[in-house]
Amino acid sequence: MLQIEQNNLLIKKTFTEKVFPKDESSSKSLDRIVTDFDFTTYHLSTLNDNKDLILFSIYLKFWNDLVKYGVESYLTEKYEKFDGPVTILPKSDVEMNYNYSLVVDLSQLQGADEETKQNLIEELSFLKRHCMAAPFEKAFARYDELAQTYANSNTYSEEIQAELQKEDILTINYRGSDESIYIKPSFDRVTVIFSTLFKDETDKIFGKVFLQEFVDARKRSVQTAPQVLYSHSEPPLDIQKAVRNTGDDNKGYVTFVLFPRHLVKGDRRDNCISHIQFFRNYFHYHIKCSKAYMHSRMRFRVKEFLKILNRAKPENVDEEGKSIETKKTASGRRFDIGRV
Amino acid sequence: MASMGTPAVVMDNGTGLTKLGFAGNDSPSFVFPTAIATSSASGKATKSTTSKNSFLSSKRGLEDLDFYIGDEALSASAGPNYNLSYPVKHGQIENWDHMERLWEQSIFKYLRCEPEDHYFLLTEPPLNPPENRENTAEIMFESFNCAGLYIAVQAVLALAASWTSSKVQDRSLTGTVIDSGDGVTHVIPVAEGYVIGTAIKNIPLAGRDITSFIQSLLRDRGEPDTSLQTAEEIKQQFCYVCPDIVKEFSKFDNYPEEKFAQYIVEYADRNKRNVVDVGYERFLAPEIFFNPEIFSSDYLTPLPTVVDQVIQASPIDVRKKLYKNIVLSGGSTMFKDFGRRLQRDLKSLVNERISLSEQLSGVKSTGVEVQVISHKRQRNAVWFGGSLLAQTSEFKSYCYTKQDYDEYGPSIVRNFSLFSVP
Repeated sequence: MLQIEQNNLLIKKTFTEKVFPKDESSSKSLDRIVTDFDFTTYHLSTLNDNKDLILFSIYLKFWNDLVKYGVESYLTEKYEKFDGPVTILPKSDVEMNYNYSLVVDLSQLQGADEETKQNLIEELSFLKRHCMAAPFEKAFARYDELAQTYANSNTYSEEIQAELQKEDILTINYRGSDESIYIKPSFDRVTVIFSTLFKDETDKIFGKVFLQEFVDARKRSVQTAPQVLYSHSEPPLDIQKAVRNTGDDNKGYVTFVLFPRHLVKGDRRDNCISHIQFFRNYFHYHIKCSKAYMHSRMRFRVKEFLKILNRAKPENVDEEGKSIETKKTASGRRFDIGRV
Repeated sequence: MASMGTPAVVMDNGTGLTKLGFAGNDSPSFVFPTAIATSSASGKATKSTTSKNSFLSSKRGLEDLDFYIGDEALSASAGPNYNLSYPVKHGQIENWDHMERLWEQSIFKYLRCEPEDHYFLLTEPPLNPPENRENTAEIMFESFNCAGLYIAVQAVLALAASWTSSKVQDRSLTGTVIDSGDGVTHVIPVAEGYVIGTAIKNIPLAGRDITSFIQSLLRDRGEPDTSLQTAEEIKQQFCYVCPDIVKEFSKFDNYPEEKFAQYIVEYADRNKRNVVDVGYERFLAPEIFFNPEIFSSDYLTPLPTVVDQVIQASPIDVRKKLYKNIVLSGGSTMFKDFGRRLQRDLKSLVNERISLSEQLSGVKSTGVEVQVISHKRQRNAVWFGGSLLAQTSEFKSYCYTKQDYDEYGPSIVRNFSLFSVP
């Protein structure tokens, strides 16, 4: 498994069981907590009075940041097409302690054809991805605008450069205040910067090597990939004004520069968003994988060394220096030759 | 701390099945075989195609990422490129390389959580050597940096799961656990949260044996379909425990319409189907626990006798409590009336002994209460018990955190403080 999948497998499974009921057990009531990366919690539960209605809520730590960048309208746009089976609850009705709630009505789905059902399940399992996509969409839309505005002007002139410098930076503190994503749109690119923080010393080293490799990989083989830059403890100039408490030694900044070819509207743009927002999870997953790999190498090595050590064990010798063969009987018992 | 709000992860890696889920849920989110399919051919394949590959990937292959676990592993191993292996044998982890990767994928792919943000509750069989605990802790803390870890004994969790039953009045961690899974059946006495190791007994009869017993009965009769899968289905759908074999036989003969059943085997090919008659195996199959001689000639001690021996081998001051709280756990205890039959047989054994001692000593006994508790969550009792305990607010204070581990090293996990009973 090289990639981490973008949708939540468990949500998909839960809804599949509900939408395509196999036997009686799947028509029971449901009350389940599901988690996702970055402190995301989902709650799936059937409503008390009607077991066909499933309340599906999500809690995100950085919801307030997302609201600023229009997550609600983006989600509405995504789930509106399932109007009928899916009802988006207004803000006042959202489940306690959660940020966003949907109600899925299974009874309305019964008539629908297989494809619609599959589609719906798929989209529901992408809820977190959609939430996180909102600021990216907003930044990319801003890039579209800027690209139009400056299409025919001399973008090297100082005024325009200064103008672009002032462009707002979208900040998502997606893991509390420690780690954030900064997005800065411009007329010919969108810069996405991740700040990363390692709690563990070993992770820090692995992370460094991994990121170095990331930077180099592009130079060697994958030229169409976005440019990646890595800087340690000092934030890149682009976002210096948006970053608080700079100069933390544990912090690193990873910059992705997305070029127009990554921002082509449609599938490619969606794909780009899905991949880039998963960067941190992907990154940490692979650090852990490489540790697991190292451990398996270590175990292998230890086993080899033990073999060598065992070979070096002195043989049993009698007084004349001949080795004593220890023979076993058929039942596995030993007896010493030459002794009475 | 950041990990305070997130639910704890409960992982129960058994010999046959792995149960994964989050604390607070009533059933595990994922149940799949504890199997891993690692790629065998890709190592050679990448070498031969090196020239075509880009510089990076030729440096090192990605074999260590190329594997599947659970049901996917079973289907992948049907192809030529993957080798299937089961890293857990007899309840204990044998292959740590594979286990580490199995956990890696369970956490990231199935549960989708960042281990740094979650506490973990893992289970271990009784009498697990402390070295295994240390290895587990090494992996959990060093590879995954998990926030906190608690390793619980399966039998204790099974006891905790029985608290949901209405029969249980006091929530104590004293009782006898009968854990019957696929491979082996354990009878484990637990006193105040501690397993009495010297008294544990194993019975080499469990789910798999029942299935093969049914299969042999079907074969003897010459049914059209005698596959292991069919036997498995019949076991799950039709089998029950009867109070008396002789009477049950005559019931079958007198009322054949009610008792005999038919099982329709469906195949991937829709047009083909077979009808298998289900007869005496309905009550004979689970009977091997009570009369093992009908199945095997090596092992002849019935389950109630084993339970009695186990309790008699335990310290005298806990025996009454052990008789009073006999808890079932695992899929092979799910047969209807299993608990009732066990209770009856055990009671007659105990009463016999009491009356004998009364005769010999001439003193009237106060009697011993025998109670077998069966409950709804029996199938995944261990996991459920874990979920129950891990959702309590005190759970995190019983765990060892990453900081503790860094301070003391792996030997810290040799001892865990027990859950105080709420």
